Amino acid sequence: MKTLALFVVILAGAMLIYAGQDLPAFGDINSPAYQHRMTQYFIENSLSESGVPNIVTALLANYRGYDTLGETTVIFTAGMAVILLLRRREK
Amino acid sequence: MSGVLDIVYAEYNYWIYVTLMMIGFYAMIAKKNLIKKIIGANIFQTAIFLFYISLGEVEGGTAPILVGGHGEHAAEVAHEVIYVNPLPHVLILTAIVVAVSTTAVALALVIRIYQEYGSIEEDVILAARRKLQPEFSEHARLKGGEDE
Repeated sequence: MKTLALFVVILAGAMLIYAGQDLPAFGDINSPAYQHRMTQYFIENSLSESGVPNIVTALLANYRGYDTLGETTVIFTAGMAVILLLRRREK
Repeated sequence: MSGVLDIVYAEYNYWIYVTLMMIGFYAMIAKKNLIKKIIGANIFQTAIFLFYISLGEVEGGTAPILVGGHGEHAAEVAHEVIYVNPLPHVLILTAIVVAVSTTAVALALVIRIYQEYGSIEEDVILAARRKLQPEFSEHARLKGGEDE
């Protein structure tokens, strides 16, 4: 069983290494993700559009506001699940 | 040979995250202890976070907080500064919250399992479950299938 698990893990790792050869090098400024116009747009316009110097905050609370709202739903659901699981039961 | 080493060095972040992912994945599959499984899942998640953050890294880049964006001179934002990609940071901020939520639910489930069976070892729990419900065991299920 442990040998099978090790085999599966090494297979998954080898597949990821193989796929990772096509990814851009570490810190490459010409990587497609950085040169994409959305990234450049957010870096240039987030201050004038949302008034927050921190781009991550501007993205999280302004452009992706509905995503953050859904995130709070996730936390709420998890909290309710923990309460329902751990509350004292009356027998 | 140096060509191979150059390739490994240029993408060493991927090697680190793959190694971390393998450690976490192995712990999730092979360990019998439920807490160790959860720790493995957390290591796995951390590997994915590191992968995303390393994708956003730019050589010589600074944190994505606009230099000169504060105060009265907000209009004079420096344009020649290189910032790292902020999009992976935002995505991972969301993913960290989800990871914390799933870990909380998983740990609560483990507490309930321990209260019910008195153990967090998977094989002990399965043995106790077979004792409580004989129809749950593999052998009885196969046999019952033949009878019907």
